Amino acid sequence: MSPEFHQTMQRRRFLGSSGFGLGSIALHSLLQAGTIPHQTGDPHFKPKAKNVIWLFMRGGVSHMESFDPKPALNQYAEKTIDETPYANVLDPEHFKDLRVVVVNDANGKQRTKIYPLQTGFKQYGQSGTAVSDWFPHIGSCVDDLAVIRSMWTTDNNHGAQVQFHSGRHMLDPRVPTIGAWIKYGLGSLNRNLPQFISMGPRFFDKRDGHYLGPAYDAVTLKIDPENPLDFARPEGEITAEQQRRGLDLTNRLNRLAAEQYPQDPVLEARIKSYELAFRMQTAVPDAMDFSKESGATRKLYGLDQKETKAFGEQLLAARRLSERGVRFIQIMHGDGAAGAWDQHSRLREKHSQLAMQVDRPIAGLLKDLKQRGQLEDTIVVFATEFGRTPGSQGSDGRDHHPFGFSVWMAGGGIKGGITHGATDELGFHAVENPHYVTDIHATIMHQLGLDPRRLEVPGHKRLDRDFGHVIHDILA
Amino acid sequence: MRSLCVVAGLLGLSASAHADNAELYSEKIKPLLEERCYACHGALKQKGKLRVDTAVQIREAGVLDNGELIARLTSGDLDERMPPEGEALHAQEIEMIQAWITAGAPGPENEKPEDDPGQHWSFQTIKRPEIPPGDFGNPIDAFLAEKHNEQGLVPRDRADRTVLIRRLYLDLIGLPPTTEELADRRSYSAIIDELLANPHYGERWGRHWMDVWRYSDGYGLGAQLRYSQKHLWHWRDWIVNSLNDDKGYDRMILEMLAGDELAPEDPDVIAATGFLARNYYLFNRTTWLDNTIEHTGKAFFGLTMNCAKCHDHKYDPISHEDYYRFRAFFEPHQIRLDPIPGEIDFEKNGLPRAYDDDLEAMTYLHLRGNDLDPDKSKIIAPGVPEILADFALDPQPVDLPVSSWAPGLRNYVQEDHLAAADARLKEARGELAKAISGNALPLDTEPTPGKGFALTDHFDAERPEIWNIEGSGWRYQGGALVQLESTRDKQFARSMRPHPANFDLTVNFRTTGGDTYKSVGIRFDVTGGGRDAHTVYASAHAPGPKVQIAHTRAGQTSYPGTGRIARPVVVNEDYEMRVQVRDRLMNVSLNGEFLLAYQLPARNPNGLLELFAFDATAEFDSISVSPLAPETSLKESKNPAPKIDSKELTAVAEAKVAEAEIWLRTLKAKIAADRAGIAGKGSVNLGEVVRLKKEHAVAAAKVALLTAEAGKQAAAKKALAAAAKALKNPGNPTDYSPLRGSRKALETPEHKETDYAATYPKTSTGRRTALAKWITDRKNPLTARVAVNQIWLRHFGEPIVGSVFDFGRQTAEPELAELLDYLAMEFIESGWSMKHLHRLILTSEAWQRTSSNLNADPATLSKDSANAFLWRMNSRRMESQVIRDSLVHLAGELDLAMGGPSIEPTPDARRRSLYFQHSRDKQSQLLSTFDDAEILACYRRSESIIPQQALALSNSKLALEMAAKIPAAFGENLSTTEFAREAFQLILCREPNPSELAECVNFLNEEKDRGRLVHALLNHNDFIMIR
Repeated sequence: MSPEFHQTMQRRRFLGSSGFGLGSIALHSLLQAGTIPHQTGDPHFKPKAKNVIWLFMRGGVSHMESFDPKPALNQYAEKTIDETPYANVLDPEHFKDLRVVVVNDANGKQRTKIYPLQTGFKQYGQSGTAVSDWFPHIGSCVDDLAVIRSMWTTDNNHGAQVQFHSGRHMLDPRVPTIGAWIKYGLGSLNRNLPQFISMGPRFFDKRDGHYLGPAYDAVTLKIDPENPLDFARPEGEITAEQQRRGLDLTNRLNRLAAEQYPQDPVLEARIKSYELAFRMQTAVPDAMDFSKESGATRKLYGLDQKETKAFGEQLLAARRLSERGVRFIQIMHGDGAAGAWDQHSRLREKHSQLAMQVDRPIAGLLKDLKQRGQLEDTIVVFATEFGRTPGSQGSDGRDHHPFGFSVWMAGGGIKGGITHGATDELGFHAVENPHYVTDIHATIMHQLGLDPRRLEVPGHKRLDRDFGHVIHDILA
Repeated sequence: MRSLCVVAGLLGLSASAHADNAELYSEKIKPLLEERCYACHGALKQKGKLRVDTAVQIREAGVLDNGELIARLTSGDLDERMPPEGEALHAQEIEMIQAWITAGAPGPENEKPEDDPGQHWSFQTIKRPEIPPGDFGNPIDAFLAEKHNEQGLVPRDRADRTVLIRRLYLDLIGLPPTTEELADRRSYSAIIDELLANPHYGERWGRHWMDVWRYSDGYGLGAQLRYSQKHLWHWRDWIVNSLNDDKGYDRMILEMLAGDELAPEDPDVIAATGFLARNYYLFNRTTWLDNTIEHTGKAFFGLTMNCAKCHDHKYDPISHEDYYRFRAFFEPHQIRLDPIPGEIDFEKNGLPRAYDDDLEAMTYLHLRGNDLDPDKSKIIAPGVPEILADFALDPQPVDLPVSSWAPGLRNYVQEDHLAAADARLKEARGELAKAISGNALPLDTEPTPGKGFALTDHFDAERPEIWNIEGSGWRYQGGALVQLESTRDKQFARSMRPHPANFDLTVNFRTTGGDTYKSVGIRFDVTGGGRDAHTVYASAHAPGPKVQIAHTRAGQTSYPGTGRIARPVVVNEDYEMRVQVRDRLMNVSLNGEFLLAYQLPARNPNGLLELFAFDATAEFDSISVSPLAPETSLKESKNPAPKIDSKELTAVAEAKVAEAEIWLRTLKAKIAADRAGIAGKGSVNLGEVVRLKKEHAVAAAKVALLTAEAGKQAAAKKALAAAAKALKNPGNPTDYSPLRGSRKALETPEHKETDYAATYPKTSTGRRTALAKWITDRKNPLTARVAVNQIWLRHFGEPIVGSVFDFGRQTAEPELAELLDYLAMEFIESGWSMKHLHRLILTSEAWQRTSSNLNADPATLSKDSANAFLWRMNSRRMESQVIRDSLVHLAGELDLAMGGPSIEPTPDARRRSLYFQHSRDKQSQLLSTFDDAEILACYRRSESIIPQQALALSNSKLALEMAAKIPAAFGENLSTTEFAREAFQLILCREPNPSELAECVNFLNEEKDRGRLVHALLNHNDFIMIR
């Protein structure tokens, strides 16, 4: 055993047996017997934000019809790109970063016949940032948003969802996702709940921790009053009273066993994990119970309407979880293998429906966080794996588009009311301040007081691109 | 902060500057150089003849005075700048280096340069170390005692016998001992021998090696296989059997990498190449081989070959070219499924295996690791990294026997094909007889009530358990099931299970485009793989849009006039079609408008349901099917059931008989030709076989024409004409192809099976054999050390070398290096016998010590609290599989059957967990909670402690059910005290102490359900821990 490894083990075991200040550090990040040295949970520098609500629209939101208006598409509608003054966007030189997974797929092609905008735009707020008519409620919050209009990625298929979360292409080895790194890098803010929670339909890679280990996978919660967390309720005939008595006995026997096995950090941790599990059985349903929320709040999130209820409930839960100190809440919107926002056809109809499902809840979340003073501590991210082609696919759709697309961030020390970066006139390429997906990760980590370059695990080399660059222009 | 102070001090040129700067060098600059520069300017390489691994060398290199060092670090020209990869050094770092240079670039006295890479401990030939003196029965204890003495550590006593017996059972067979087994009075070594001989040993250790060798069942998207292979369980069974047979580990590696070359006629050996088949990846050959290279290196000889894919290895003597030399070993190989006797359908069974397919395949270096940028100026030959090359062998091509390169010539394959052709002919004749006697239609068949399933699907996500999707045009996208290709081919989504006989179905769809007919709808009563069915569809055919009912019988479809109604169906409108069927009466409505009441000519019991688009693109938004409520009244039909022309049916049946007869004849001729050709007996008229095949093609085209759907008649006629024309030309012997006996895994998604030849090269390159022999050569310093370390880890919970897959220069020599080498030599000299190694380890005092700290020597505890020197045993948590197997076994419910196809990981399954499907798409939720093996790589399991584990043992169906069943194992008349004692014995394998017993008895006095006590004990830490 190498002295280095030995030291790590000693430190871990020491922490395991005595490092529990009440509520200071979550068990599961602290005690993972394995090859990985542990983070103590201290930020690397003073944080500006405490937690993250990560909203991810699966399938690929059209940037031109959400946050990056391109009037040129109306001007040149039905023309081919070659017939516009911007024919150079098709210069093969621009496509050299593209890495294709599914060769000869029916989707993921260049679409050269310009498809006009399927919705109008309005300017909102003091800043006058333009937002499409499909997102009027988010528009009303625009002075809190930093819209980044110059994202790019390298996968033209939905593996880009994996890439957006991990920074690595589908054909690369799987590495931990942003949520897993944050859980790894920071301690918990609460003693009853997991630090990293996922809601909504996952992308095809259902793990987060990868080489950090399964303890860094997100814990999946469901909006289901009966069963918000797997195994959180007995799957058999057993009363609450019986369960309590049984757990008490287990607990007492474990403590008696501790007399036979003194200074056993695993046993200590197991006892505490049972206590945490027991608290979670109450704390999770409590966090997911909206009965004490006012009618006004419920309405704010759109719980009163069929279209917005499902997503609104997840966002209300997200606010309640972040309020209780959950670090990273990852919410996916849009079911299906590829994701619902994947409008190869019927873009106007489906995108407008999907936008309606999320617009009011997201605006509700931002307003609610703001009125509670939580927005200062909480970063809200709105993202998607790629944009959609300026050209049409079929008669009424747009194809996948990794060369330029938009995301936005708000809260947690992010500057509001600004746009950053730009695509060209057609919305084709990110041309001004282009950002790879990990720049979003770097910016979030920076606000949370973490230096991603200091989060490394021996034996797993990280690449420069994995770390990303902080987007300083959008920091308040 | 300190460095800044130091820098600040420097600028003031204080008196102690020199000492401070030497310290600055050691603490800040040297680590920076080590990270960014040593790879090219250290012991590994000396680019530009520059070494920077000591201050002296830097000073003497002549790069300081002329300012070159700083100039290169700060150059704006990326071709000039150092380091060339990654980001430039930060301004602060450069400032620091500049300050150090200004101070004269001092370093510590006697600074040692990096060791020569060849001197790295793990690259040294393994020698049997001398056993330290002392009175020890087991050399392991002698090596450890030496360390204990050096460190002043006091080892612990032996654990209690019951603790040891439990430890043994869990360690060796992965199942807890029964109460009787716990009371076994035989000698300890007798129990070890018995357990090593127990076939469950192979299962327990098989799962360990499945982790290391990355077992995963095949998976992909829908029906498309993308990763690994179908039926990979043959390899899993090979692992289990090999371990039970105590096959030498060297032999196991040889078989896994090159079993096809070593024993080309032995499927039991070839199954080992599942190791290679597991890396199959449909979309990208380089990704596939990258995985093969990386995991061959990490699993067998502990080197991170993968780090040399894009550039020379930063730490180890593995060059960029070495990576591609290593790739060349694997370049010719491909994967195929070989036939299993008695089965010609590769969907049902087949042996996944490797073989050399393209003997001429070239390997090129990929510039910067980019597979699109190969350096074609140089063909790279197979080879191993130079530092370990002195015992490498040149590949010797292997001549393969016929059964290997032409699997279709194996007797059993020929017989299986003949039997299938016979059966088909028999069936065709039976149908013909029925057609002639007028019994072709089972007109009196009524549906069997009560069967079938209700279903609602909004197509938000793939549900492969419900739909079998056939055809390349289907996608799940935008919350719909979408058919993107307008085609007349058979493409459909077919239910996996029958629909209810009497049903009420609503389907929401939209025709989004298409060619002539633009028909979208459903089929029901689908039997015989679609040969029989009823269809209802809406056709947006512009001249005559309509809703139509049709019947398919024996592959032929009729479109009765009474089943047709004109409606203005158009594209890009949403439609809701409702179909209600009771016995033979059927009602159809569209968008709430009643359209048709219709009498079906017949029903097919246990038929399936299909969604389809014909000549159309379409989106299906939802479907719901439920049994038709008895109170629902349907409109009666005014028309009788349509007659189906039995003359046509007879004609079809006759054509099918003719086709089946010719096929049988062709097959027999082909087999005769294959046999004669191989045996070299007599002359074979291959031309005649080719002609027969053409004749068969004509017969098949006739059947196709007779059974073609309306829209496909013209194409079928054309095909028949072409076949007939081809028959006019004489059979050309060069067109002969032998019987296809195996199925090659597709090299790309565009390929079809028929793109590949039916036979394979008659030789294999021998490259993989050469590689395997190099790995298993006893001169290889890594292989035995890596394996021993893996085995040690699984006995002690901690390895000797912490980084189990990396023995390269980043990994320092371990404290217990001599012990490692001793065991490695024992391993090699025992014929690489794992059982020998197990026995040696298990009989050591080290392995038998207590894991408790109770009454441990306080000085020992404080000096080595982490137990690096094994003065006590480590407690380990059971792996996920052992937890579940133990739960089920204690309840007496475990099905101990061994081997066979992987099973669904449901809570009701009772087989051992290693037989669960294990892939990205299929993983047991319970096992996942307890750190199941990562699919992509798992050289070592994690042992997390997370609250979800507590919830799983408290609340899962399995834990609750098993807890309820366990009390039945005890007599009913036990007192509460007796019961508590027995339960403790069974579950924790030890006597409760008086306080524990009192707790249990108190509990049972309040809680009458004894299963509750059992459940509490199953949640005890000592249940999932191996103490």
